[in-house]
Amino acid sequence: MILLKLTQNELYKIFSLVRSYIGIMLFTVIVPLILWGYGMGTSHIQGQIENAVSEMFFIEGSPTNGYTAAYFIMNFFWVHIPFLIALVGGDIFAGEQANGTFRIYATRPISRLSIFISKTLATMIYTLIFVLYFGLLTLGLGLIWHGGGDMLVFHEGVLILESGDAASRFLFAYGFSFMNMALVSSIAIFFSVMVRNAVGPVIGTMAVIIFFLMVSTLPLDVFRNIQPYLFTTYFSNWEQVFYDPIPWGDLFRGFGLIFSNIIFFLGVAYLIFSRRDILS
Amino acid sequence: MIDTPEKDPLVENIPPLQSMPMALECYGLSKRFKTIQALDDVSLQVPTGSIFGFLGPNGAGKSTLIRIVAGLIRADAGNFNILGRSSYSGHKVRQEMSTLVDRADFYKNLSASQNMKILGRLTGHDQDDHINELLQLLGLYERRKDKVKTFSQGMKQRLGLAQALLPNPRLLVLDEPTTGLDPQGMHEIRDFILKIAREQQVTIFLSSHLLHEVELICSDIALIFNGKLAAQGSLSTIFQKMENVTVELEVEHSELAIKFLAGIDLVSDIKVLANAISIEIIYSNIPELIHRMSTHNINIFSISQRNRLEHYFLSLMEQK
Repeated sequence: MILLKLTQNELYKIFSLVRSYIGIMLFTVIVPLILWGYGMGTSHIQGQIENAVSEMFFIEGSPTNGYTAAYFIMNFFWVHIPFLIALVGGDIFAGEQANGTFRIYATRPISRLSIFISKTLATMIYTLIFVLYFGLLTLGLGLIWHGGGDMLVFHEGVLILESGDAASRFLFAYGFSFMNMALVSSIAIFFSVMVRNAVGPVIGTMAVIIFFLMVSTLPLDVFRNIQPYLFTTYFSNWEQVFYDPIPWGDLFRGFGLIFSNIIFFLGVAYLIFSRRDILS
Repeated sequence: MIDTPEKDPLVENIPPLQSMPMALECYGLSKRFKTIQALDDVSLQVPTGSIFGFLGPNGAGKSTLIRIVAGLIRADAGNFNILGRSSYSGHKVRQEMSTLVDRADFYKNLSASQNMKILGRLTGHDQDDHINELLQLLGLYERRKDKVKTFSQGMKQRLGLAQALLPNPRLLVLDEPTTGLDPQGMHEIRDFILKIAREQQVTIFLSSHLLHEVELICSDIALIFNGKLAAQGSLSTIFQKMENVTVELEVEHSELAIKFLAGIDLVSDIKVLANAISIEIIYSNIPELIHRMSTHNINIFSISQRNRLEHYFLSLMEQK
């Protein structure tokens, strides 16, 4: 019961801050803009695709439909979303330290564990809402604007997914994306418990992600052995749900590594938070 | 007769309660920050129902002790009880205690009511009626819908007191509650503290380095220097034990009075002030002095002890 009330408090605080809406506002503007641009600039691509595959397949609807648009936008934004997610996760502890509000909050007869869990839960709920909003906006608006139909995926050739199949695969894609973003939030929380300003955790989170992204994508032998163990190697694993057959084994291996990283970062963050002297 | 003209009459309503159970008991509390020993084996007892002044110069260890009791920092050694609950029971020890540590800070983008709601939810005291009642008590009801960022520091301190009263605490711990306030703000906070103690039956543990402030409102005190407890007890007992006190006399014929005072062995350090005569005298000799002056037809309009606590504080510091 107390956890519920604490989480309710944290959500209230999160959604009373302007910074929590930056990402949402940004996508509210930019996604329709991209969808508009997508409609304007794909007529010649559509013609080329239809010419190339019409002799082999019958494509229902336009090949550059809402599904393909949503896939295209997801491909484009998965590197940018972490920054927007970290704005909230990075502030969740550090912001209170900087404002001095922890002095009041932490003196109540509540355990540090309850405070930590409620703040983490609220951050994860925000992350989920963010991913869902992004999904609804890209897929929902994409389908309204460009209509449905079969989805074309370019992976080892051309793969055509039926409309209903594509929709269910998007659900999995958003599910895996949420896990990746939950890890970003966990890293932001990890930095947030260590410092007393909200900027540091955002920069720290992005620095960690950029560093590991570089290591996991550089085609150098020295890094190749460690790449399977880096969480950033699996950051684009959501794309695999559109393959045929879906490589469930790889997907769940990646899922496992991402999940264990979430546990690691949150575990260390709690250990630091539970022992930390609140002096500010 | 010895008068204390600046003392608030409300203080008189709070009896010394040394025989009652303790609201706060600390045993051997120690805390070290790198090279600084902030607290060194401090033990103290705060009687239930008292307004307890915790005194010491800046950096003496007052805030460190309060932060340990409030659960903000961990002690290296020692333990404490709050209203019979041991610190070994974890966060539950603070079940009946509320704190205002240092300056009151709030969620600035939220209103006074919204802040109170958030903090009330933590202990299940978020009913609108209760919140409004407290805002009324602290004189903030009219501004309850305004964002806290529009509040003055004095208003924030009052809101700090209001939030501290949300869980209906039996022990209220206040760390330098008048810091950063102008004289009017300090006066308001002092009045509120007395009002709370009287009307809500709350034990108040108040840290301050303002001796005058403590002397005005506290019934009991403890003094701390360099992390070590130097003294503790009820103010009246401490003052009774003080041998030399500084007394100011307002008399009808000051020249005659000065001549008389210079000729007797009861007093020393006679100073002529603008409207009074200042003397140093052994506390127990004051009745004898009054008697002798009246038998010599020297009419006394008033006799008052000034800065008794300061006198005591400085003498203790010299000993240390």
